Amino acid sequence: MRRAGDGVTHEAIAVDEITLRNYRCFREEQTARLAPLTLLVGENSTGKTSFLAIIRALWDVAYRNRVPDFKEEPYDLGSFDEIAHNRGGGGGRSDEFTAGFKAATTIPQEEPLEASEDAAPRRFAATFRKKGTAPVPAFQRLSDKDGEVWLEIRQDQDQTWLSFGTPGGAWKREIPEISGRWLDVNDDRSMWTFASSLGLFFARAENRDDRAEAVSLRGTGRPDTDEIERVAELVMRNWPLGYLESRPYASAPVRSKPRRTYDPARTTRDPEGDYVPMYLAGRYFQDKDAWTALKGRLEHFGRDAGLFDEVSIKPLGKRESEPFQVQVRKFAGRLKGPQRNLIDVGYGVSQALPVITELLRDDAPPMFLLQQPEVHLHPSAQAALGSLFCRVAGPKCQLVVETHSDHLLDRVRMDIRDGKSPLKPDDVSILYFERGALDVHIHSLRLDRMGNVLDTPDSYRRFFMEETTRSLGL
Amino acid sequence: MCAIVDANVAPEVFGHNRPAAGSEFFKWINREGGRLVAGGRLLEELDRTAAREWVRQASIAGRIRTEDDAEVDARAVELRDLCISDDPHVIALAQVSGARLLYSNDQDLHRDFRNKRLIDGPRGSVYSTRDDKGFRERHRKLLQRKELCRSGR
Repeated sequence: MRRAGDGVTHEAIAVDEITLRNYRCFREEQTARLAPLTLLVGENSTGKTSFLAIIRALWDVAYRNRVPDFKEEPYDLGSFDEIAHNRGGGGGRSDEFTAGFKAATTIPQEEPLEASEDAAPRRFAATFRKKGTAPVPAFQRLSDKDGEVWLEIRQDQDQTWLSFGTPGGAWKREIPEISGRWLDVNDDRSMWTFASSLGLFFARAENRDDRAEAVSLRGTGRPDTDEIERVAELVMRNWPLGYLESRPYASAPVRSKPRRTYDPARTTRDPEGDYVPMYLAGRYFQDKDAWTALKGRLEHFGRDAGLFDEVSIKPLGKRESEPFQVQVRKFAGRLKGPQRNLIDVGYGVSQALPVITELLRDDAPPMFLLQQPEVHLHPSAQAALGSLFCRVAGPKCQLVVETHSDHLLDRVRMDIRDGKSPLKPDDVSILYFERGALDVHIHSLRLDRMGNVLDTPDSYRRFFMEETTRSLGL
Repeated sequence: MCAIVDANVAPEVFGHNRPAAGSEFFKWINREGGRLVAGGRLLEELDRTAAREWVRQASIAGRIRTEDDAEVDARAVELRDLCISDDPHVIALAQVSGARLLYSNDQDLHRDFRNKRLIDGPRGSVYSTRDDKGFRERHRKLLQRKELCRSGR
């Protein structure tokens, strides 16, 4: 959904489900429920980071029509051989893996919609095969919620096939060689261009190339105009290539070290948050109103977390291009402590700052993929982070958070129970990654209005229960 | 799979020197298929027993489900005149939560819990060590039953 009333158009995507098969440690096909706030929990090496990585990869394929880079930071998953599931022993490595999602998506328009306006969910799936050493999408399928209207593009060696179906029938044809360049499955213009000219494409088929003739897979005759329009609409509504340049923000588990002095430099996002001091200084120098608003939001969290009461930028010259420092200070009642350089306070402040800045900036991306944002934070600050997530997550901002923090998880439960968050129980999903013999199963746990964790398998938090039992001498 | 522990027998489940029946019941709720429910006055009572620390950890682990205190307490007021026992809050919790297994040694409460007019769909079952602290066949069968919760819980 889009933000209403701010005069700015925004892409609107709410990913409801992720489906995986033969990907990393996930062998069987399984579906995980995503919500505005999704928490990934489980032991080390159970695929939580791989799960985050596939979300970004799918986003790149579906919404940007790009071949995903599985080695791009902060996720370096290696080559195809490391990414496709390896059964071990005689089972060998899978020669393909599949991932998909269900999402409600709309493309931006000039007139902002009301926040309550829902978009119909659609499904997208991609199957990746090995090309050289890297995985590339060899097969993509887009369908409506019920699978009645669908479109597939599949590449086998040098041929590209396109199929589509409606309740009235299904058709398939090879994409002619003459058009092969712009209809390549991995070309960043292919699906769009194609969707916008489906009718023309089929009308021309019989006259241009025998190999390209449309074959009816189901039903009879050629697709009529209405059927083509239904498929084209599906694509146009859900493959908003060119509009969705905003990717999910993917944070690294360890953020960049603080520095005593910063030199103004680029302000593009990076997983370690190296750019964040520059972004803050940019707000400070270029847009006082925006800086004041952001500063207020950061300080609100800083107080809740006990990290700082004030954050400020200290210019070391007269011009924007000159070095600056980031400072914080604590208050004690009416007394204001000294301004301290970011490097002179606890590591938790500098580690948290990139994440909370990203979450609280006006132009936050529609989705966050966060790895252990609680690192270096005291339990009280971890809990405050949980409350922040509950405030930020919603229809216009989806958070997927890998965490080992009980304090964060518990605060989310309590904020839901106590009505301190606009989120409802269904707006939170807890994905528990359970290691099996040679693979991992994802359990989608829910909260109820009392903050109870529902649908837990017996293994969930067994370690903690056993530690408690032992501690109690039972 | 949902059960209620009467605060009076909490030491048998969460305390030291537990009887075999209490120990097996604890194992069932701690790492097997059993789930405890609590809420209202019973939760306050459990909080004053050896169960306290376990309840805190179990609530994060999803092994105990807490019900709305206000809803349970209000129901207990409605049931006050219908119960033989002085534990209408336990019957209220069973009605609100759907739990149909009760660990208790209170005979009046047993009668209330087995009263079809108070607990039905399915009927309530009682896990008791009143006459025998050993883990017997009847205990084992109770912990193996699947219909220990009202449908949908």
